[in-house]
Amino acid sequence: MGVLEGKVAAITGAGRGIGRGIAILFAQEGAKVVVNDPGVNPDGSGTQDGGPADQVVAEITSAGGTAVANYDSVAESEGGENIVKTAADNYGRIDILVNNAGILRDRMIFNMSEDEWDVVMAVHLKGHFNTIKPASQLMRQQRYGRIINFSSESGLWGNAGQANYGAAKSAIAGLTRVVARDLGRYGVTCNAIVPRAWTRLTATIPQRDAGGPQAADAPEPEGIQSYDPDMIAPMVAYLASDEAWNVTGQDFLVYSGVVAVLNHPVAWRSISTPGSWTLDELDKMVPRMMEGVRNPAPPPEGLEVPGRDAATAAASG
Amino acid sequence: MRFEGRNAVVTGAGRGIGRAVALMLAKEGAKVVVNDPGVSMDGAGHDDGPADQVVDEIEKDGGAAVANYDSVATADGGEKMIGQCVESFGSVDILINVAGILRDRMIFNMSEQEWDDVYNVHLKGHFNTIKPASQLMRQQRGGRIVNFSSISGLRGNSGQGNYGAAKAGIAGLTRVVARDLGRYGVTCNAIAPGAATRMTAAVPDAARQVRAKRGMVAPPPSSQMMAERTPEHVAPMTVWLCTDAAWNVNGKIFHVAGGDVSLAHEENVLTQIEKDGRWEISELAQLVPNRLLAEIRNPAPPPKDLEIPGRPAQPAR
Repeated sequence: MGVLEGKVAAITGAGRGIGRGIAILFAQEGAKVVVNDPGVNPDGSGTQDGGPADQVVAEITSAGGTAVANYDSVAESEGGENIVKTAADNYGRIDILVNNAGILRDRMIFNMSEDEWDVVMAVHLKGHFNTIKPASQLMRQQRYGRIINFSSESGLWGNAGQANYGAAKSAIAGLTRVVARDLGRYGVTCNAIVPRAWTRLTATIPQRDAGGPQAADAPEPEGIQSYDPDMIAPMVAYLASDEAWNVTGQDFLVYSGVVAVLNHPVAWRSISTPGSWTLDELDKMVPRMMEGVRNPAPPPEGLEVPGRDAATAAASG
Repeated sequence: MRFEGRNAVVTGAGRGIGRAVALMLAKEGAKVVVNDPGVSMDGAGHDDGPADQVVDEIEKDGGAAVANYDSVATADGGEKMIGQCVESFGSVDILINVAGILRDRMIFNMSEQEWDDVYNVHLKGHFNTIKPASQLMRQQRGGRIVNFSSISGLRGNSGQGNYGAAKAGIAGLTRVVARDLGRYGVTCNAIAPGAATRMTAAVPDAARQVRAKRGMVAPPPSSQMMAERTPEHVAPMTVWLCTDAAWNVNGKIFHVAGGDVSLAHEENVLTQIEKDGRWEISELAQLVPNRLLAEIRNPAPPPKDLEIPGRPAQPAR
């Protein structure tokens, strides 16, 4: 008997990549699955295509599992409601919600159009709200539920050219912490996965300029290519199981055979004064607090940078 | 006078933290666009008064300032306040994004409007000013952007799904913008303030007490704490990040409350487990609670009397 026997799950963006792997494992573990995917392009464009969702449903049912397809977009509140309703109408309840749907529209901040910002926010951040809101109402009533969101290293560490995606993914980590606190008393948990996987989505990331200020701590696309999206599913299935009843409000980095729990952005190094700081005092004390902390995108050598020139002159004089 | 010849836009500068920052920048020689549409805490209404008063205060003290009453919630509003700084003073060297509203509600009761309003002012509001400012700062090869996240937003407060997501999103946006603009001599950091302002006073006492009872947040602030955590306490670090001395501080989140200034943890790996190959769910059920989360407290555990599948039976008394 599987760990999700008799549970009802809705998985967004389950037609391909990470979501597909989760849907298939969930079904193997005995869950009845709503396979949501509007079948659009990686940038969210294109007309709806039921193909990807239908294929995953066919795969699940031919293996003896139970699944139904849904083609709604999470970017609309109506779409989110329909996805949750599909679970309730077909299987009577919703125990597990996995928010995996996503798109990319990379652009440097100074060139990013309002539309590029808006569509990425609509699918990722609002998309999480659109499904969590109706699911949380049912889960609260039934005093049981599991919500698993998808954040990203891009938001938590910061990738150049991804202001929209990075902000949305970081916001999802914040949303996860609040939803965990709103629903914990009703027996509902909410956690976030920070995946590393080579999928159709990451394949759209342009080759990175080795000389640019790319975050050195972010994995290179070449590195990601070795990360199989199917490696993400077991941790998601664990978080969805009864055994994970006491795990909530956390961000988990998952790739290959690695599962890590991440720090929250709490205070790390501090300076204190009994009253209010003066700028002169901060001139002295902030560099001490920042000692050894890397600037992720320092200005190039050739650029005139007022404070740097003063510091260099002081050091050499 | 550290900002002689520099020009600044401060959003939400009519009251609270924004006002304190605008006054301090002006005292140090910056010419300031004092933006504030003068709305109520939940974003309703309009009043030129608060921005006008701060401009008066600055001018009486011998400084230079102009008022702007646009809302950051629209792209047009953001462009207008940046444009006004260029028209009035010739450039934009400093952008401080303080404007904010609150619409607290548990996630299962939160309306789409409550979600959208908070998102629009906070997260989209940051994009709306940063986009046009970043274009100018990139051209002039220099600039300072200071965003406002929130300690409660980053930590996760029950009833603040919209605010917590937006404020965590701003932290992510800050990290990406820092990387997009570092090579042009522009820095972007965020302040997560803990201050007693009109906005935090809006959190009803009843809500504070309910939260405190659940052990989710600290008890209501004492009057002494209120006196030690004024908006004026947040200004020095915010303003210091705009000085030349801060040229190499970029992409960081600082908690500021009273005389405490802390560098926040980035959301890096706390602990991890790894194996060669795909995890079995049963292995994760053993290792996640016992090893990965051994030191981590559940921030919102289910009540003792709720039936929780998977929870070991309570010892009989």
